[in-house]
Amino acid sequence: MRSTFHGLETARRGMFTQQTALQTTGHNIANANTPGYSRQRVNFVQTEAYPAASMNRPQIPGQMGTGVAAGSVQRVREGFLDTQFRGENNKLGYWDARSEALEKMEDIMNEPSDNGLAKTLDRFWQSLQDLSVNPEDSGARSVVRQRGLAVAETFNYLSNSLTSIQDDIKSQANITTKEINALLDDIQSINKQISEVEPHGYLPNTLYDERDSLVDRLSTLLNVEVTTKPSGGKPDPLAAGLYDIKMKDKDGTEFTLVDSASGTVKHLSIKYDDAAGGNGLADSVEVGGVPITISKFAGGKLQGLIESYGYNDNGSVKGIYPEMLANLDQMAFQFATEFNEVHSNGWSLSEIEANAHTGYNFFDLGGVTDSVNPNGAAKLLKLHDDMKELDNIAAATNKFGGDGSNALLLGDVKNAPLNFPGSKSSLQSFYEGAIGKMAVDAQQAVRLTNNSAVLTDSVQQRRLSVSGVSLDEEMTNMIQFQHAYNASARNITVIDEMLDKIINGLGVGGR
Amino acid sequence: MRVTQSMLSNNMLRHISKSYESMAKTQEQLTTGKKISRPSDDPVVAMKGMTYRTNLTEVEQYKRNLSEAYNWMENSDAALDKATSVMQRIRELTVQASNGTYEESQKGMIGKEIEQLKEHLVSIANTQVAGKYIFNGNDTTNKPVDLSETPSVSENKNSVNLALSQGIEVAVNINPKNVFTHTAGPPESGLFGDINELKKALESTSGEDIGGFLDKLDSHINNLVAERAELGARYNRVELIDARIGEQEVIANRILSDNEDADIERVITDLKMQESLHRAALGVGSRIMQPTLMDFLR
Repeated sequence: MRSTFHGLETARRGMFTQQTALQTTGHNIANANTPGYSRQRVNFVQTEAYPAASMNRPQIPGQMGTGVAAGSVQRVREGFLDTQFRGENNKLGYWDARSEALEKMEDIMNEPSDNGLAKTLDRFWQSLQDLSVNPEDSGARSVVRQRGLAVAETFNYLSNSLTSIQDDIKSQANITTKEINALLDDIQSINKQISEVEPHGYLPNTLYDERDSLVDRLSTLLNVEVTTKPSGGKPDPLAAGLYDIKMKDKDGTEFTLVDSASGTVKHLSIKYDDAAGGNGLADSVEVGGVPITISKFAGGKLQGLIESYGYNDNGSVKGIYPEMLANLDQMAFQFATEFNEVHSNGWSLSEIEANAHTGYNFFDLGGVTDSVNPNGAAKLLKLHDDMKELDNIAAATNKFGGDGSNALLLGDVKNAPLNFPGSKSSLQSFYEGAIGKMAVDAQQAVRLTNNSAVLTDSVQQRRLSVSGVSLDEEMTNMIQFQHAYNASARNITVIDEMLDKIINGLGVGGR
Repeated sequence: MRVTQSMLSNNMLRHISKSYESMAKTQEQLTTGKKISRPSDDPVVAMKGMTYRTNLTEVEQYKRNLSEAYNWMENSDAALDKATSVMQRIRELTVQASNGTYEESQKGMIGKEIEQLKEHLVSIANTQVAGKYIFNGNDTTNKPVDLSETPSVSENKNSVNLALSQGIEVAVNINPKNVFTHTAGPPESGLFGDINELKKALESTSGEDIGGFLDKLDSHINNLVAERAELGARYNRVELIDARIGEQEVIANRILSDNEDADIERVITDLKMQESLHRAALGVGSRIMQPTLMDFLR
């Protein structure tokens, strides 16, 4: 036989459960603008019907419902969209780092403009033309010396500025590895907390959200893959489980960064070629002591930064900044060498006067002699000490003060084919090539940054579509739950009146 | 698809910032007057820009060299003109003296005048322009003629070449060896030598044949005229180069401008369009963002 108070219990369950739902609605509204928050939903389940199937069940017509309970509080989220988002975010991190590095380089090179290296070389050429017209004029000589000095200083400036930006990028890469390591530690510590909560059948939604935003942040910096493992004990079937974080290199070799089972975290570090005589560029990235060569290291802001800073790949130097620096060194070396060659063959006013050919040099390469790898030529280029004396500038090919033909030959050095490695091209076209490559690279980086930003945005949009809080929806739910709550309360009043009749109104006939 | 408030506001923010970005780009084009502000905006325009700038610099430099070439040639021509009239005067005097009606003292007077005219010729041969001796080949720092020295006339006949165009060098001086000459005697010869001999003949009392000098003087005048003609022909050539360089400058400027200058009318129109688009975006945004269900619930 069923209980007299059955209806009270059913209505009470209704009130409790609607209250839970109202509370969750309040939580959703409160977190409508919290980054990384996924809206939550109370899963309503009916409580077990009465009577249960058993031998001593009462014989009543049909099973009767006994009300509702809050089965679980679940966050609404699509794991598939997370994977997509992290993939795009990773590309965004890589191209963003590259485009930023190239943008800074463009700012320094400052071409085409009226102040760049090309213009400085043009001005130097102009001064040599003026000297060829007025070879006996000391004013023209002094202009040649100053413009030559400007050429050397422009090379110095470009080389020094690029190097200081390169150093900035290095410290940025080091900070990024620290950030990655801190994120990995955080993820493991949240894993640990989750592993303590889940076995009891709870859904730690707050911890899930926090862990997912950490992985989102990690995905910008590094190309990571997430696999889940269930917690021990009796977890809810909806529980997300523990995260294992893995990284793949370009060959597909996997490196486990966070292992939830053993609770170990492997840290990343960049190894530089810091030995005596080393070039200081990156050699490898070590994952828990295991080195990955840079050419195989894949993905994210860290890769973008290391590629900008420069790395050693099988004995050759690669990277955005080292390549431009090497180009400048080549230009400074080849130009100064050829210029000195032509200059020392000519006759200067002082040599004409002394009637003896000394062969003065115009530029001083600061001791750089290696024509294949003239490292530091751009940084060390300066005017030769011979040029302290204006009359040592050799404008003539023969012993006459009015002869400016060597000045013309000196001017032609700018357009003459020089021995650049791999190609015989003029200084100007070599420089144009270097600038052109930089421009194309920068354009590509900017374009792909924009592309991956659009894709990341669109995945983020879809994530928000699933997980975002809609205030209208919450308001509707709130009204709905409020009404259900009120109705349950009213139900109690009705049952109360019914019981009142039974208790106080029955068996008092004839009173 | 479920659309939430945060999606709407994110979307709006993104579109408004995109619209700001393109406005900034257009504004930059308007203020700098250039299509591109960094090479990555358009690598081809940037690289072409570098070449065109160099071309323009070269053309401007050649123009500067041209004015120096004119300076040389016009001064040489003027000096040769003076030298020719001096020679004409010497010839006149020689014709007078060869008449035979002149007395010795009168001949002596003519000899004195010729001596002065010779000094004048020497000073013409030593013409300096901006500190340079223009009749001494490329040895422009030394005097070409000093009759008190031996050799009295410089041997330098090298040409002074100026680059007036890519790969084109033009000699801007004359060959002084064709005009100002002197060979020590006796008897002396060459321009200054012949004049010296003429003067000696006028001053001598032995009644030498003065008329015989006329042929020599004529040949020297011819040399002067021939050298001037040659210079004039080269001057014409320089003028042709000048005209061509002038055209090249216009072309180089135009190409540079075509390559990288912004089309201002277009940019202004774009800016106006961007502006109204931006206004619309802001207006629509304010309308979308305001109402929620709360405005309608009581």
